[in-house]
Amino acid sequence: MAHTWKDWKWTLIALIPVLILIIPIYFVLISGFETVEEIYHQPPYLIPPNPTSQYYTEAWTTLNHYLMNSLVISVGVLALTLVVAAPAAFALAKLDLRGEKTVSFLMALVQMLPVSTVVIPLFLIFFRLRLINTHLGVILGISAFTIPFSVILLTAYMRSMPWGLIQAARIDGASLFTIFLRVVMPICKPAISTAGMLAFLNAWGDFIFAISFLQERPLQPMSVGLYSFIGQYGTKWNLLMAGSMIYSLPVIIVVILAGKGLVSGLTAGAFKE
Amino acid sequence: MGKLKYRLGCYLFLLPAIIYICLLLIYPLIYNIELSFRDVSLISYMRGTSKYLGLGNYQKLFRDPIFHRILCNTAIFMVLSIVFQFVLGLLLALLFNRDFPLNNIFQGLILLPWFVPIMVKGNIFRWFFSDMGTINGFLSSLGIISHPIPWITSKSLPIISLSIANIWLGIPFNFILLYTGLKAIPVELYECAQIDGARQWHQTIYITLPLLKPVIVTTLMLGSIFTIKVFDLVWIITKGGPGNISHLFSTYSYALAMEQFKFGMGAAVAIVMVLIVTAITIGFHCIKVDY
Repeated sequence: MAHTWKDWKWTLIALIPVLILIIPIYFVLISGFETVEEIYHQPPYLIPPNPTSQYYTEAWTTLNHYLMNSLVISVGVLALTLVVAAPAAFALAKLDLRGEKTVSFLMALVQMLPVSTVVIPLFLIFFRLRLINTHLGVILGISAFTIPFSVILLTAYMRSMPWGLIQAARIDGASLFTIFLRVVMPICKPAISTAGMLAFLNAWGDFIFAISFLQERPLQPMSVGLYSFIGQYGTKWNLLMAGSMIYSLPVIIVVILAGKGLVSGLTAGAFKE
Repeated sequence: MGKLKYRLGCYLFLLPAIIYICLLLIYPLIYNIELSFRDVSLISYMRGTSKYLGLGNYQKLFRDPIFHRILCNTAIFMVLSIVFQFVLGLLLALLFNRDFPLNNIFQGLILLPWFVPIMVKGNIFRWFFSDMGTINGFLSSLGIISHPIPWITSKSLPIISLSIANIWLGIPFNFILLYTGLKAIPVELYECAQIDGARQWHQTIYITLPLLKPVIVTTLMLGSIFTIKVFDLVWIITKGGPGNISHLFSTYSYALAMEQFKFGMGAAVAIVMVLIVTAITIGFHCIKVDY
């Protein structure tokens, strides 16, 4: 690239805020390799003096019991979100419905609802429906927020797609359902996968629904499982940090693999009305 | 005939989403309003004997010293978070709008913390802010302080510390929205200004900021809404404590309902919060209509 020395000056300036923003995550990573004494050392170590993988192993032994629950919840949210949101986005973007504007506005509005205002009444409703202490209850709760978000994201994407193919398929006599499955879905693969990943990440990171609805330990996901390192008499910081890193790893992998697509997906909804 | 069937078919695609949102968001919201007028405990709820109180919960709330504290906390938390997130996000966006080596990799590093689960981010700050934690460790090693600062254990500091954590949390979001907005400004405008001899920082003030205004308003609106809703971060770092001094609306409403089983009071706090969110949204919409 045609970068001059002057350009590198800006790289150096940019390095400072980048380091400040990334340093907390770096500390999560290294604290898991240190003993308790090393963690409390002053000044704090920037590199673990005697790195040991013992705490990562120990944290994993505890956390692996929660892994399956996290996966069930996250995959459940992903599937439910796409099944409900994709057809709705198709209808809003391409089918020219009456009241379409109202529905779009409603989607944007309900997204703004504070999660805590929904958790409390849902807890009572689910208590009666015997959905407390079930994965289904948590999946339903989280999806209430991922669905409107995905509808907005997918509608924005589908609006930008050409009408022509759908028109052609209609003239060929294909039913709407066939058009949706055979024409719309394949074209929208990139947006669908972004919406799916964001729903997955949202569910993986959820903490409020899981901690409110799942009181039985064998049902809890990793986010709640991390509490096992926060005892009554103090936190085992090195185990908690090692566990946190293990819990974050799938997220970091997804983000690195998906890259910019995820970010543009997240901002897509923001500039819509 | 075929046309009517086609129309109905269209609505069938939309129906599941509408039903879902009505049952799992709108209905709970309405139910929240109903709860806020009643004295509800888990037992009275199951028996269906919760007493109707009218505005009783709200009256009790407005006399509650913890609630007064929350109003204060929310004001401090919102002003600090939004001002710093926005200004720092904007400066970063302007910086990254330049072309320099490693720009893309750096952007990736800025955005990565955004996706890290809140449970992890909350706990790292709990450790950073603890009396023996990293921040005090650095400060005392550098000789800046002689006693550890009680970041999250004193009577006045916790809400400031929580704001600092929330600013850190919000920078990537502000950055990416503003950066996307900057990228949409046509380069030709700057080229013209350059030919006319405009200085760089004049360009920023007279070209960039006015054209960025819609994006700025959107960013501030979303920032305000996200900030007033914050729950997880505070719950993980201080749980509203010590002694109920660092609560926000969301955490207090949650503590009332899910820990003390005062569902009616919890619902009343939640409704107050929803009213404020609505006011913010309407307020910003009025600003938006201006242009």
